[in-house]
Amino acid sequence: MAHDPGPAPDGAVPGQNGPARGVTRRSFVQTIGISAAATSLGSAAADALARQRSQESGGPEGVTILGPDPVEVTLNINGKPMMATIEPATTLMEALRLHLNLTGCKDVCDRGACGACSVLVDGRLTAACMLLALDAVGSQVTTVEGLAKGDPPKLDPVQECFVRHDALQCGYCTPGLIMACRALLNENPKPTLEQIKHGLSGNICRCGTYTNIFNAALEASGQAPIMDQKGA
Amino acid sequence: MRPIDQQTPTYMPTANRPINAGTSMNDNTSRLDGVAKVTGAARYGRDMHLPNAIYIALVRCPYGAADLESSDAAAAKAVPGVLEVEVTGKEGKYHGQPIGHVAAESPLAMKRALRALNCTWKRKPVKTRISDVAPDMPAPEDKTKEILESAELKLEAVYSTPVQPHSSLETHGGVVDHKGDRATVYASTQGTSSVKDGLGDSLGLPQSAFEVVCEYVGGGFGSKLGGPGKEISTAARIAAKYKRPAYLFCNRSEEHLDTGNRPSLRALVRLGFMKDGTILGGEIHKWGGVGVGGGGGGASLPSGRYRLGDVKKSDSNVSTNGGGPRPARAPGNPQGVFVEELMLDEVAAMAGIDPLDLRRKLVTDDIYKEMFDLGARLIGWQDRRANGTQRTGLRTGFGVGSTNWGYRGPQGSAEVVINRDGSVEVRTGTQDIGTGQRTIMGIVAAEALGVPLRVVNVRIGHSTLPPGPGSGGSQTAYSTSPIMNSATRDARQQFLTLLAKGDGADAAEFDIKDGQVLRKGQPYLTWQEACAKLPNDGVTGKNEAHPDGGAGGSQGVQFVKVAVDVEAGVVHPLHVVAIQSCGRVVCRKTAESQIIGGVIQGLSYALFERQILDRNVGTMVNDNFEFYKVLGPMDMPHIEPVLWARGQTGVRSLGEPPIIPTAGATAGAIFNAIGRPVRDLPMTPDRLLAAMEGGAS
Repeated sequence: MAHDPGPAPDGAVPGQNGPARGVTRRSFVQTIGISAAATSLGSAAADALARQRSQESGGPEGVTILGPDPVEVTLNINGKPMMATIEPATTLMEALRLHLNLTGCKDVCDRGACGACSVLVDGRLTAACMLLALDAVGSQVTTVEGLAKGDPPKLDPVQECFVRHDALQCGYCTPGLIMACRALLNENPKPTLEQIKHGLSGNICRCGTYTNIFNAALEASGQAPIMDQKGA
Repeated sequence: MRPIDQQTPTYMPTANRPINAGTSMNDNTSRLDGVAKVTGAARYGRDMHLPNAIYIALVRCPYGAADLESSDAAAAKAVPGVLEVEVTGKEGKYHGQPIGHVAAESPLAMKRALRALNCTWKRKPVKTRISDVAPDMPAPEDKTKEILESAELKLEAVYSTPVQPHSSLETHGGVVDHKGDRATVYASTQGTSSVKDGLGDSLGLPQSAFEVVCEYVGGGFGSKLGGPGKEISTAARIAAKYKRPAYLFCNRSEEHLDTGNRPSLRALVRLGFMKDGTILGGEIHKWGGVGVGGGGGGASLPSGRYRLGDVKKSDSNVSTNGGGPRPARAPGNPQGVFVEELMLDEVAAMAGIDPLDLRRKLVTDDIYKEMFDLGARLIGWQDRRANGTQRTGLRTGFGVGSTNWGYRGPQGSAEVVINRDGSVEVRTGTQDIGTGQRTIMGIVAAEALGVPLRVVNVRIGHSTLPPGPGSGGSQTAYSTSPIMNSATRDARQQFLTLLAKGDGADAAEFDIKDGQVLRKGQPYLTWQEACAKLPNDGVTGKNEAHPDGGAGGSQGVQFVKVAVDVEAGVVHPLHVVAIQSCGRVVCRKTAESQIIGGVIQGLSYALFERQILDRNVGTMVNDNFEFYKVLGPMDMPHIEPVLWARGQTGVRSLGEPPIIPTAGATAGAIFNAIGRPVRDLPMTPDRLLAAMEGGAS
C-alpha cells in the first residue's frame, strides 16, 4: 500500500501484498533497515543519538545502530523542545500527529503529493510525511500551530487573510496551504499572482478555494485582490 | 492551545465584486470556524488519536477480479503489537474490495501485519470499461428514422465520461471511543444522525448510550452520506470487543478505490433538427458504468432546460470490475450536461447559428435569457470567432452551459436557547462539510433575534442535538434556515413575554434591535441586563413543524473562455463567469466560495480527472494524487462568481448547481477554439490532438 512501514522490530521479513510501487527516499530508508539508514542521516544530532545507542547496545565499532526498539528523541517544535518515544521508521508527520498532538499537520496522501502536511523545517517548506522524524532532530520545526505569536496569541497575517477572504471550505488542506503561503512570503514578500500560483502549486485543495487563497496571499503581502487583475 | 482572539477577521472588500455587494443578508462575516481551521485547532475525526487506541486496516483485493489462494494470518499475528488478524473473504470483484482486517497497537504494526499477511491471489478475467460489457450500439428505432428523414440536418454521435472518485482530502473512517457502557463515535460523515441509526448493533449498545460527533469534515461531496459504512462499523465492532478506542481511516489509495465515485457514462445521441435550430427530436441511449454497485448510473439527459423535441431515451447500468458509485455532487448531472451542451454546440455549428442564440431559442425558462445576456457581457462573448476559423498557435474559445436544481421544502428541527448571561445557543444536529452551514445558522438566528452574531454559539455535529438534515441534495441551508428562523422567533417571543410580565406590561411594547432591548421604540435595557432578568434555565425556543420556506429558485449559467495550444493540445482555462441564483443569500463569502468551488471541480472533471483501471488485471493504476490529477493552482482561470438575487425571500440550493454546467461549457469552448468537438472527458491533450487530426475524438 502507500506507506511502507519497513521491517518489524523483531526483524520479521514482510511479504508482498499487491503490485510493487515506486521507491521513495523514505521507503528506501525504511526498507533497507535502520542501521544502514542511521549512517546516511544528515543530522548530526541523530548521528550522536545513534552513536550513543550503538555503544549502549554493544554494536560493532564504526556502525551506528538506531532501533529497532523505539528511541527517545527531542524535537524542536515551534520554539519549544518536545520529547517523544518513537520507532525510527516514524515520519515527522506521524510524530507530530500521533505523538505530539499537533494535528494541524494533516495526513492526506502520505507520499508528498498534496502538501497538506507542510511544515517549515529550518525555514524551508517541507512535506512532513516525506521526512523521518529522526531527520528533524536538531532542526527548528514550525507547524501551523506555531504561527500565531504573542500573549495572547495573535494570528499571522496569512492566517488572518485566509479567514477574511474565505480561503477555505472544509479546511483540511488549509494548514498546509497556510504554511506554503508563509514560506512563499518569507522568500518573496511581494509575489506576483503568477509567483503565488507557482509557490502554492505543491498543494491540492479539493473543495476549490484557490481564487480566495490567491486573494489572501495578495492581501497578506499588501497587494490588491485578484478581481482587480483581470484575466489572471 | 490557548484561545486566540475570538473575533474573526471580517471586513472583505466588496468593491471588487460589485455585482454581489448587498445581495446577501450578510456581506462581510467570515465563517465562524475560520480561525479554528487556520490555526490547526479544528479537530477532524481523523485527528482523534486517542491514548491506548487500536489501529485497524482492512485487507483488500489488489485486482479487479481474483480468488484468494493463500494468506498467512499466523505470520501477521506474530508481528509485535498485532492484536488480531481476520480474513473472511475468499474472492475479490474489484480492486480494493475488503476481505478482512488487521488490528494493532500502532499504525506501523498495522502496516507490517498487512505485509506479513502475504496474500496470494489467482487472477480472473476482468471487464473494466462500458464497451467491454456493452460493445454494440442499437440500431435506430422506426420513429427516430422518421424524425431523421423529415429533418434538414442530423447529428449522430457517441459521448463518454470517466469514473471520478470524490477524492475527499479527509478520508473515510472514524474513531470509536468505547467505555464499556457508553461510547463516543468521532465520524467523518455527511449525516451525523444517520451514522447513529446504523451503529447500535456493532457497538453492542442501545442508541441512548452513545453519541456521534462530527464537528468538522474534510470534504465529502456525497460520498459520506448514509450510515456508518464499513469503516466505522468495523471500528465499532473492535472497539466493543476490546473496550478500547479504535481508529480506522482509509489511506489515500483506499479512498480512491472503495469509497464511491461518480459513475462513468456513455451516451449515443441521434437528433434531427432544422436549419433554424428547431430540434425535432430523436433518441438518446445512456449506459452508466457502475462497477459492482448494481445501480446509480443514471444521467440527467435531457436536462429539461432546452426544448429538444420528441426525444426517446433509454438508461442502463453496466456492471464492471470497479468500485461502486455513491452520490457525487449533483449525481448524474455534470456528465449528462456535458453531453447536452456539447450536443447543442454541434447542432449550432451544423446549422450555422451562434450557440448562445440557439440556447436563447431553446430554453424553457426565460430567466436563462437574462442570465445569458449578463454572462455574455462579462465574458466578452462579442469577441468570439466562429468555430475553427482561427489559424494561430494559441486559439481562443468561448462556451456556455446552464444548470438548475429542485427544492423539497424545509425539514429537520432546531432549538434556540437564550441564557441568563446573554449568550445564545442555537442547536441542530446537521453538520458543516465546508459549505458554511455553521455560519449560515448563526447569521439566520442573530438576525431573527436582533442580536450581534458574536453572542450566538452554533452547536451542530452531535447526534444528541435535535435531528438535522444530512448534507446531501443541497438541502441543509434551505432546510435549516426556516427551521432556525422559526425556533429563534419562538425563543424571542418567550423572552419578550417574560420581560413584559416582569414589568406588568404588554409584550407588544418590546422589541430587540442590534442587541438592545427597546420599549415603545426607545432604548430600555442592554441585552445583558434584559437576559439577567430571565429565570435560571433561560428560555428555549422550538421550531414549528412546517415553517414557510419562502420563494426563490436555483438556476444558473456559466461561461467559459479558454486558450488552446494547438501544437501541444493543452487547454488553458482563462476566465469563467458563473451566474447563480440560490434564493435569498445568507452569507456572501461562503456562497461565493460554493460557486467558485463548483466551477473548479467542474473544470477539474472536464480537463484532468479519470480513474484508470488496468484493462488486464483491473488494478487502478492512479490511486494517488501524483497520477490522479486534480486541478491545482497553476491551472486556475480567473473565476467570477455572480450571485443572482432578485426579490427572493427563501433560501435555496447552492451546493450542487454550480458544478453542473462547467464541463459542458468547457467542451463548447474547446470546440469553438479548435473547430472539432472533443466528445470524451477528460479533454486531455491527446484527445484534442486526435480530434484536430481526424474529426471527432
